[in-house]
Amino acid sequence: MNRIKYLISLICLLGLVGFAASALGAGTEFGGDNEIIIQFSSPVDKVEAADPERYIVFEESDPDIRLRITSIEVADDGREAKLIFADPLNTSNTHVVNTSDIGGAAEASFSVSKSYLGYLISILISALLINNFVFTKYLGLCVFFGTAKRKETAKGMGVVFTIVIVVAVSMSWVIFQYILKPFQLDYLQIVIFIGLTSLTVQAVDTVLRKVNPVLFKSFGVYLVLVIANCVIIAVPLLMASNGYNYFETFMLSLGAGGGFLLALYLMSSVSERVELAKVPPSFKGLPIAFIVAGQFAMAFLGFSGLQLF
Amino acid sequence: MKMILTIIFRLTVSCLIAGTIMGMTFIVTNKAKKANEFAREEKVVYSLMGYSHDNPIPDSMGMHEVFRYVVTEGDQQSIGYLVPMGAHGEGGGFSFIRISLDGTFIDQAEVVLSEDKVREIGDRDAAIQAAVGDSRQIRFTDQTIVVTDHGKRLAYLLHGKFPGFKTNIAVMLALDPAYSMVGLEVMEHEEDPGLGAEIEQDYFKNQFKYKPFDKIKSLEVVKAPMPGEYVDALEGRIDEADALKIMEQYKDQDIYALTGATISSDAVSSGVKGITKKFAYRLDILDNVLEGQQIEVPF
Amino acid sequence: MANENSSIQLVTNGILKENPIFKLALSMCPAVGISTTVMNGVMLGIAVLFVQVFSSVTISLLKNFIHPRIRIPTYTLTIATWVTVIDLTLAAYFPAAYAQMGIFVKIIVAFAIITMRLEMFACKEPVTASFWDGLGMGLGFLLGMVVIGFVRELLGSGAILGYDVLGFKPLLFFILPSAGFFVVGLMMGFFNWIEAFYAERKKG
Repeated sequence: MNRIKYLISLICLLGLVGFAASALGAGTEFGGDNEIIIQFSSPVDKVEAADPERYIVFEESDPDIRLRITSIEVADDGREAKLIFADPLNTSNTHVVNTSDIGGAAEASFSVSKSYLGYLISILISALLINNFVFTKYLGLCVFFGTAKRKETAKGMGVVFTIVIVVAVSMSWVIFQYILKPFQLDYLQIVIFIGLTSLTVQAVDTVLRKVNPVLFKSFGVYLVLVIANCVIIAVPLLMASNGYNYFETFMLSLGAGGGFLLALYLMSSVSERVELAKVPPSFKGLPIAFIVAGQFAMAFLGFSGLQLF
Repeated sequence: MKMILTIIFRLTVSCLIAGTIMGMTFIVTNKAKKANEFAREEKVVYSLMGYSHDNPIPDSMGMHEVFRYVVTEGDQQSIGYLVPMGAHGEGGGFSFIRISLDGTFIDQAEVVLSEDKVREIGDRDAAIQAAVGDSRQIRFTDQTIVVTDHGKRLAYLLHGKFPGFKTNIAVMLALDPAYSMVGLEVMEHEEDPGLGAEIEQDYFKNQFKYKPFDKIKSLEVVKAPMPGEYVDALEGRIDEADALKIMEQYKDQDIYALTGATISSDAVSSGVKGITKKFAYRLDILDNVLEGQQIEVPF
Repeated sequence: MANENSSIQLVTNGILKENPIFKLALSMCPAVGISTTVMNGVMLGIAVLFVQVFSSVTISLLKNFIHPRIRIPTYTLTIATWVTVIDLTLAAYFPAAYAQMGIFVKIIVAFAIITMRLEMFACKEPVTASFWDGLGMGLGFLLGMVVIGFVRELLGSGAILGYDVLGFKPLLFFILPSAGFFVVGLMMGFFNWIEAFYAERKKG
């Protein structure tokens, strides 16, 4: 069910991106550090396109600061113009390019921004790897150490957790957007979020018991542990403080659950080996598990600063 | 059936009690929170100017807040400034001055707002909206504090936020009337402790002090070890007079990056560069308009 | 456990025999995540102490009013309420220290230790006993956090409570977050070893 929802939202997004181009232009994108590339839908006069006076470029949030164009390169077929700026551009902000008297259009306006889909995927990757909730943010540890002993328990816990977190956080988002924010009840965040999580756990428990008892027997025991997992309250809090919209929240919760699953899987693979190794008696069990986790944490440090889009 | 009713009743009562407790706590702590935030900002402001608890600011100094808004009407945009009115020393209410994107004066409207409410964004927005009319939307962007001494401009204090290595870094800058840097303070950041977090340390922050505007406009970061005497001067380990002399020597040089935190250092440096350039551009326009229209402001 | 435990016994139980961090291995997220300084440890310890004590007392007072079928939601509601209260209070009166702790104060609501304590103790025992038990658990947590924080701050930044003690930074590694795992793991192993050592001594 979740996969179908995901596919549909993906297709809608791609459609939106396609419609973003205006009549004159076929597309816009950022080039290098200080370049904007405009593609015209039909060839334009090269002299007109190369005249910096005909362009006004600014960041959407600062309309009064005009960015200085040092030179313009027009492609031979007249369909592409590359604007080169004096200073590096802040590509995380949307830029607006207003043209006048180019290609027969008296005034045209283009919006340049990094692909929204890329932004969503970067949230996902961030929650999964760069800001992995277990190894980088140190949350959900109690449950983590409890279920990271065998691969099967790890997989079971990870999957159940991902499902619960996506559903619970989606509901939390709805309540946050439409009830908490408008009425300025921000301080009720903690109660509402943990309440919704308990509700989701209860609901999944009942549904699973009736619909698929076999599945319930293998996974049901992990449901109770979900509430004790710090990540389940951290994700909605993060969503609230960043003010994400629905798609971003969905990506965040998916990444959080996936990251937890990944962490569990990695840890359990190592755990099974460690049990066979020679460990000093006072370190057997939790202490050595902590030290292994510490090494994973150091390894995950390598992901920080990763920027895909 | 009776059991379910009992459960519902008891649960509702518990929720109500819980809600009341939280609500009361919120009301009590909210006031304290706002007061503390204001006190903290004041402290940063004074320390940027070189004053502190033992060295309080003289009475001749005034702080005037200017708030910048973007006004949208249909598809036309303009910049609006909420400025205090009147000559130095008098309380004269507020005025909302609209300037077009090209820097020309559009109009001026009187805003009904009291001194203490001007810092509350809700009250401020409502008052300005009332003054410009419902056909226009306003969006608050940033505020500046103009510090005057006996009516003459002494410094400008600005806030700024820009992306750092991890998340955003929030800073507060102090510039003098020629736009050279007087001080820099890092307000919020989430950089790594021991690495990026060192941007809070004196030996990094104070490098920005006394840099002239021309240098700030082309500020870069250089990956080289800092000369020992410069570090001592920045950290305040030597005489003030000697420290000043050394800092004078370095004022036209680039910023020395922090060890193991080049990206954080670069982020702060570019961020400061961007904020200062934009501010200088905007303030020049505002000054032109104030002069051209003969609008009297206390700074 | 006998119901007539004296109050001192209840408190020391929470600190030593059933120390939440080192023995029960619960609520470890902050122990690893923000135990970089002693101050953080103290602040979070106090927050947990507050929540634990007030929740224990509240549940104990209301134990006859709570319907058994909705125990867990009631516990959750109580804990969430007190966490919100301490969160708002700390944010208002200690903003600098609060900023260091990020969302860890809010996360107290998900701590298994508090719910467990309510379930095992507070819903059956009288109010004063619950109070002492809560106090013991909270103090155990506080002490654990302070000890870890002490080791990490001293070895990582050469300071204690912000005062420069060593004058240099021995191993920056210790205040990097991943070291939390190592320090806690090593300390747990150490505790186990001490226990085993004393058990051996008693036997022999």
